[in-house]
Amino acid sequence: MTNVSQFKRDPGRGNRSGRGARSGRRRASGARRRAVADNQAAWIERGIPHFEVLDTEALELIEHNADTVLEEIGIEFREFPSALELWKGAGADVDGERVRFPRGLCRSLIEANAPREYTQHARNPKRSTIVGGERTVLAPAYGPPFVHDLDKGRRYATLEDFRNFVKLTYMSPGLHHSGGTVCEPVDVPVNKRHLDMVYSHIKYTDKPFMGSVTHPDRAEDTLAMAKLLFGEDFIEKKTVLTSLINANSPLTFDATMLGAATIYAENNQATVISPFLLAGAMSPVTVAGTLTQILAEALAGMAYIQLVRPGAPVVFGSFAAAVSMQSGAPTFGTPETSLVLYGAGQLARRLGVPFRSGGGLCAAKIPDAQAAYEAANTLQTAALAGVNFMLHTAGWLEGGLAMGYEKFIMDADQANMIALLLKGVDMSENGQALDALREVGPGSHFLGAAHTLANFETAFYRSPVADNNSFEQWQQDGSLDAARRANGIWKQMLREYEAPRLDPMIDEALVDFIQRRKSEFEDRDY
Amino acid sequence: MTTNETMQQEEDFELSELDDAELVEQMHEDLYDGLKEEIVEGTSILLERKWSADKVLNEALVEGMRIVGVDFRDGILFVPEVLLAANAMKGGMEILRPLLSESGIKPIGKMVIGTVKGDIHDIGKNLVGMMLEGAGFEIFDIGINNSVEDYFEALEKHQPDILGMSALLTTTMPYMKVVVDEMVKQGIRDDYIVLVGGAPLNEEFGRAVGADAYCRDAAQAADVAPQMVRARRRGVAVNA
Repeated sequence: MTNVSQFKRDPGRGNRSGRGARSGRRRASGARRRAVADNQAAWIERGIPHFEVLDTEALELIEHNADTVLEEIGIEFREFPSALELWKGAGADVDGERVRFPRGLCRSLIEANAPREYTQHARNPKRSTIVGGERTVLAPAYGPPFVHDLDKGRRYATLEDFRNFVKLTYMSPGLHHSGGTVCEPVDVPVNKRHLDMVYSHIKYTDKPFMGSVTHPDRAEDTLAMAKLLFGEDFIEKKTVLTSLINANSPLTFDATMLGAATIYAENNQATVISPFLLAGAMSPVTVAGTLTQILAEALAGMAYIQLVRPGAPVVFGSFAAAVSMQSGAPTFGTPETSLVLYGAGQLARRLGVPFRSGGGLCAAKIPDAQAAYEAANTLQTAALAGVNFMLHTAGWLEGGLAMGYEKFIMDADQANMIALLLKGVDMSENGQALDALREVGPGSHFLGAAHTLANFETAFYRSPVADNNSFEQWQQDGSLDAARRANGIWKQMLREYEAPRLDPMIDEALVDFIQRRKSEFEDRDY
Repeated sequence: MTTNETMQQEEDFELSELDDAELVEQMHEDLYDGLKEEIVEGTSILLERKWSADKVLNEALVEGMRIVGVDFRDGILFVPEVLLAANAMKGGMEILRPLLSESGIKPIGKMVIGTVKGDIHDIGKNLVGMMLEGAGFEIFDIGINNSVEDYFEALEKHQPDILGMSALLTTTMPYMKVVVDEMVKQGIRDDYIVLVGGAPLNEEFGRAVGADAYCRDAAQAADVAPQMVRARRRGVAVNA
């Protein structure tokens, strides 16, 4: 890999450099693109304040109401007796599968045990990331059964699509995390596809990834594969998986999610406890009511994890959309859910745990204007709200039913911009630019100023998707809209993709493991 | 001098030690890197070696800027870098221009350029001027807010090949037609190539005001202008 620093402007530019300087620089464009993979940041370090919509009084009221929900109504832990036993032991009131919590119990379990932030190790140490604090980690969309692209339209996702999105994520500097179910490879039997999915996240990328949660056995398989990759000792002490545990809202956790969550927690692997709310259907129609339910569910889920293994990393998750009261369909990028997101971020920070939300959410079916503005709304809201782990950053279409190739490219472009926005304002001497102001003075222009020459390459974000040319130039280039341009970009990326090196011994061990596990079961569709 | 510079100097060499072919290639590289002093020095060395000014211009400078133009078009070079290259080219041109004139060789082109009356927005006009200097043109920039009289005075004084007018506002751009109409009236319209540009213009507008071409940006102007001058000298019209 080429080091990007060689493309930085030579400070001794005024001097004549050795022969071949030009040809060196002229080659730089292609090399620069390839070099990206080796110089991607592992997270965004936040340099601007959080945008907050609730004052202390409002926050305290929501926290009080959430405790009232936990105390009076309680949460169901369905078909998972061991959880009920743990709650009894912790002093909760267990009535059948309904658990009611003394005021403050969940909060105190979390505050006493859950880490404020944690490191998720990647197989490439440069990609190991930290979730929590003033950091934001971006991951692609999760869960779509369909994929969409301009050439073939909408169709069921396959393992090839899954691999493609892992590769595209690997090559996208704005995405720090490989995600999990980047799409559902429905061409592989249900009880075996997790093996291929986890393998893809190991083989085709070196970014951190998420584990399977659709069955406790599949969580075990994920852990076994992680052990082959990282070594058994390493896994004992370190977190190498962050996995998504959704509440079955309202106020319910089911056995599938609890089973996977328990296995990951027992092994000190991170879980994102996410109330999944479509307000109006799965939570009240108001912002404050929805926030109350989010907090109650997240508190119960994260406290449960702390009962399983005190200190196991947990993330306060929130997926909140609203359903159309006209049709019942989920809507995205609307102002009410933005208010929920801002508020949830505040609640998570008061609790002292990392926060997950956001993404490039939209209800659009294709990468059109609706897709772009709904996604821009949710992405920017999530960034300003202080999301630490942003799932669904790139690719999301159709309320999560489809993973879009072009949409992915458009969102990844936004992800790059989020990093720069959150970085904040450079107030260094160079940032103040008094030299430039002195040099140029009134009238004239800054295009040739020494300060401009020293900074222009990195001064402004350059979108690979947006067309900023003149109308005539745009016309000459084929009058392409953003989606068409994105179509060219993902194809080029897949053509240029080069897999990160994986130790052949480890690769062989993983392939053997997968073959053995696959041969142990009949193919099943559940 | 920084450590970095000291280290670099050790790798440095004298331009005069290079043979002709190497020197020309190095000048292409120095133009690319926008090194004005080196271009001035290289130009002088080639002249000392009895190269004709014409040959230095075409083989060292114009060819070097052609490479710059290609990489700018392809998005590899950025505006500030191209301006730096153009400035280096200008350094060489200042030496060559009197020699070219003495030997009776027609310059690549001369242009009078300015924004029209009422319009004070000149960044685009400045960019066009600099890019054309990079293409070897001699530019007479008459600044902003030019009346018909200002343009005519400059045309009379500098005898350019091209008159360039720019405007940023829809309220000022019609003035271009006032200028062209007056040129027609006075029977001098065909003595010059008229190029117009500015954000609110388009090709149709360019035709409507009676210009020879509308240039959508500075790079295109730098491309079109030399072609039109050459074609005009051959006596053919170019439809740009």
